[in-house]
Amino acid sequence: MSSNESLNKLQQRLNLSRRSFLKGTATGAGALAAGGLTEMKYGKEAQAFAYEPYPKDNELDTVVTSCAHNCGSRHMLVAHKWKDVIVRLSTDDGSYQKNGHFGKDTMEEPQLRACLRGRSYRQRIYSAERLLYPMLRVGERGEGKFKRVSWDEALNFVVKKMNHIKSTYGPTAILDQSYAGASYGVLHKSDQIEGLLGRFLGMFGCRTNSWSVPSYEATTASSKWTYGTIQDGSEDDTFAESKLMIMWGWNPAYTFHGGNTVMYMRMAKQRGCKFVLIDPQYTDSAAVYDAWWIPIKPNTDAAMMAGMAHYIFSNNLQDQAFIDKFVQGMDAGTMPGWGKNSANGQENFKDYILGTYDGQPKTPEWASKICGVPAKDIIKLADMYATTKPAALKASWGPGRNAYGEQYSRMAAALQSMTGNIGIIGGCAEGVGKGWHAEAVAYPYDQYANIWFQAIKSDRWAHCVLNYPNVKREEVGLWPRQDATDGQIPNIKAIFWQGSDWLNQLTNINKDLAAIKMLELVVCMDSTITPSGIWADVLLPVSTHFERHDTALPWYKGHYYIHRPKVIEPMGESKTDIQIFTELAYRIGGDVFGKAYNPKASRGYFNNNDAVDEAYLREWWETKVMAHQHIEMTWNEFKQHGVYKVKMDKPLVGFRDQIEKGIPFETASGKIEILSSELANIADWKKTKYGYHIPSIPKWIEPWESLNSPKTKDFPFHLISPHPRWRTHSIFNNCSWLRETYEQEVTVNASDAKRLGLKNGDTVEVWNDRGKVVVPVYVTERCMPGVLVLHEGVWMDLDENGVDRSGNPDFLTLDEPSPAGSFAYNTVLCNIQKTKLAHRPGWDQLSTSRAHVFRRDY
Amino acid sequence: MSTKKDVKKIREAVKRHKRETYIPVQPDMQMGFVHHNVDCIGCRACEIACKDKNGLAPGPRFRRVQYIEGGTYPDVFAYKVNMSCNHCAEPACLPTCPTGAIFKRKKDGIVDIDSTLCIGCRRCEAACPYGAPQYDPSEIIVKKCNMCVDEIDAGRKPYCVMACMMRVLDIGPIEKIWDSSLQTVALGASDKVSRQVKNMANIELTKPSIGFVAHSKGKLK
Ligand code: SF4
Ligand code: SF4
Ligand code: SF4
Repeated sequence: MSSNESLNKLQQRLNLSRRSFLKGTATGAGALAAGGLTEMKYGKEAQAFAYEPYPKDNELDTVVTSCAHNCGSRHMLVAHKWKDVIVRLSTDDGSYQKNGHFGKDTMEEPQLRACLRGRSYRQRIYSAERLLYPMLRVGERGEGKFKRVSWDEALNFVVKKMNHIKSTYGPTAILDQSYAGASYGVLHKSDQIEGLLGRFLGMFGCRTNSWSVPSYEATTASSKWTYGTIQDGSEDDTFAESKLMIMWGWNPAYTFHGGNTVMYMRMAKQRGCKFVLIDPQYTDSAAVYDAWWIPIKPNTDAAMMAGMAHYIFSNNLQDQAFIDKFVQGMDAGTMPGWGKNSANGQENFKDYILGTYDGQPKTPEWASKICGVPAKDIIKLADMYATTKPAALKASWGPGRNAYGEQYSRMAAALQSMTGNIGIIGGCAEGVGKGWHAEAVAYPYDQYANIWFQAIKSDRWAHCVLNYPNVKREEVGLWPRQDATDGQIPNIKAIFWQGSDWLNQLTNINKDLAAIKMLELVVCMDSTITPSGIWADVLLPVSTHFERHDTALPWYKGHYYIHRPKVIEPMGESKTDIQIFTELAYRIGGDVFGKAYNPKASRGYFNNNDAVDEAYLREWWETKVMAHQHIEMTWNEFKQHGVYKVKMDKPLVGFRDQIEKGIPFETASGKIEILSSELANIADWKKTKYGYHIPSIPKWIEPWESLNSPKTKDFPFHLISPHPRWRTHSIFNNCSWLRETYEQEVTVNASDAKRLGLKNGDTVEVWNDRGKVVVPVYVTERCMPGVLVLHEGVWMDLDENGVDRSGNPDFLTLDEPSPAGSFAYNTVLCNIQKTKLAHRPGWDQLSTSRAHVFRRDY
Repeated sequence: MSTKKDVKKIREAVKRHKRETYIPVQPDMQMGFVHHNVDCIGCRACEIACKDKNGLAPGPRFRRVQYIEGGTYPDVFAYKVNMSCNHCAEPACLPTCPTGAIFKRKKDGIVDIDSTLCIGCRRCEAACPYGAPQYDPSEIIVKKCNMCVDEIDAGRKPYCVMACMMRVLDIGPIEKIWDSSLQTVALGASDKVSRQVKNMANIELTKPSIGFVAHSKGKLK
């Protein structure tokens, strides 16, 4: 093999599908790599590798960095690079931290090992779907035809449109649909509420905010009412201390919310902890922890919990001392004096459960009829939970993504507190589950951080656009304002996406598609083309976090910071999101807006951001991390190691201080509010962001669709759409490594499949009155009869008849949020049948079979 | 994509191969894998780490996490059997290779394929009872796990082992794995290692260097 040939081969390999990239666009990098490679020495023994020449890690530069997407975690990635090309990625091996060494992996400072998605990042960076240049739409909206333009042309187009829209339609005309999809760092942050886009549009003076968070609004609302904070989590090492762990709809083996969570739970198992799973599916988490699986009808969790509460109360198994001391509204004895005179606060939880108010005791038998779990199992579980300590009832987010999902989250909090499992190690008050608090903001943060002129429930935007101005405030969950504009329906004419693929991810996509055609401007800023981007007017290429300077913070569990240097130069003409907003600010409002948006930058920032970004990060580290958190490592030392792991003097347990030291909870009463003071005092629901009545205590409320509703006559299956393991929502759907290990498919119980004549691998259509999708079927005994499982986030692919051939469940979901704002992603009835229509697994048409699944009868 | 081979080199290798009758290499020490079938969450981070390290396109998979499930609703079970190449004591692949591209290292018993000698005849693929050799159509050769020899030689562990989020995959001297004495978090205090589990070809065929903590339903009676 001549050296030229082998060189070509290596270049092709390093860039995988984007083979022309080095040769074509980045001649600089290509030339460097070419010049360098001839210098590389290969010994004879190297001839054994999967490809030749094979660069070994020790011959490459090592750069510590991390993942950056919104999976709920944040783990270390280590780039091994040759000149400007990342050859491969590894992860934490214990050697990078201060006083680290290869293999160091302790309880106190565990390795931060990346999951399969993190490990496939190279396919994302170098993917054929990467956006490398600004693009303007040339065809119809949604047709997917774009032309390459200069930054000048793209930005001027956006500026002109923004100015026109604001002056014509007023300050609510631009809808902020930023999300945490691509940029989760302390500096470059795409975020729904207080991200870079929100600050930019707020300062510009035209922004409608989307206030409800798709992932977890039920539990957010619940934790704020119950505890006064969403910081209700313990760090995951405390799970190792549990004696009983009830995984309620929780599948950490799929979600990796905290990559080490699953490992700590394994420790618990080794120490004799018992596990229970309440879920329509027998998940991998159940298998690993040998859990007692209790299949449950979707959307009926709050009823089962009420049945458990009934058993606990009627057998007097509750921790009454804990209730008396720490809880408001659990029973008659803990009711506040003002309750009886309030609008909404006469009832206490215990009397509701015992049936004092409505004559219906919420017995296990009553619950069983609703949730499909035998009463004896409800009793057994309630007894286990009430008599084992410490016991963790981990109420995950998924069952909350339902009609009245907040009642499930609230009911879980009631069980957690009636058993006194809050504030103790091995117990659990989650909920939201956020534990350690990181210093999260290095970008300018000031009075402009979150200015909006109206705010709506996020999945009601299409309803608002399609029906404007005949929309009632409660229909869109309008957030109250303290000025004359309170109650005014926003006149949305434009959407801005930053790190967000919401067209693919919100509910009832067909309705969204109808609405988006009515807009005058759709801007998409992302690193790759996305299903949403196809519907944009302008595509602005954002460099990935490998191509800019930042620091990563844990998202959910864990306590550490990971430095993210610029590992490689930005690909193509991509820019960072702050560069783009800063430049737009200068073009809209000259020096005044430009300087105000990005105080440390000057006009040249669009072309050179290194020094300014370094200054922001250093300032953040020194004035926040070092000063507030008393971390002594200097910024330079941190950069040198690439990671800082915080050592805690004792395990972090949510609400430990409240329980041990009697510090008041952050609620109005200072107690755990099973009776919410906020809700109890609401008289006019229409004027609240909720729009509709919410009981002040947790209650079972029948969802609008479930296996118990009459609608099952036409649509006999209940569809749930959990998070896949092989994508983060829609990110990574284009990575062939991930798609060859997992395929989009709908899970069907074996007896249902038999009745319908379906075999494993058959292609089916799943439909209801909102849409239709095509997908292969996975037939298994691991799923409850009557339930279908279809994972969210696959890239939609519409055929000429409007049928989605990718199998995206959000063509079937309903854009009707729960009163508290949670998305009803899992409240879906539908039907299923064999089809002749073809499934399209990915835009590149690559189709590989499902990995080995063996079904064995024993 | 065409792969130019050094035909002269291959001819020499074939001659040498014909000259020497195959006597299995007796390694100074045999390295092998250990995997916990129950505690593995089946995440396949190990698989992806391997694909990335070895620069593999979709298709060839050196490491394969097999999902096994059974029972009848609601009494079901599931576990994983994770295998790459087992670096067998008596590799079935090795003698089938017409060019002698497959070799076993004396030092640690690692079985490897010299990619410059492989002509892509796919005989080893057919011979291996565990599906380890993987044909790569883009290169027209067969490739397989080499236990990340470069990492081992550098004093580290293979990419798949270092990727495991659960720490249930490890390597070590195979005798220690088999008698459950290997110091590794992959094994719990009371875990016993089996050489053979269900859904796996008979180990007598090649004496694979691998041990598993079996699921109760995966144990051989
Ligand atoms: S597992 Fe297969 S490829 Fe590996 S050494 Fe054994 S026979 Fe050869
Ligand atoms: S040892 Fe290396 S080559 Fe073998 S499966 Fe693991 S990562 Fe792949
Ligand atoms: S990385 Fe570990 S836990 Fe995940 S599939 Fe591989 S062996 Fe199993």
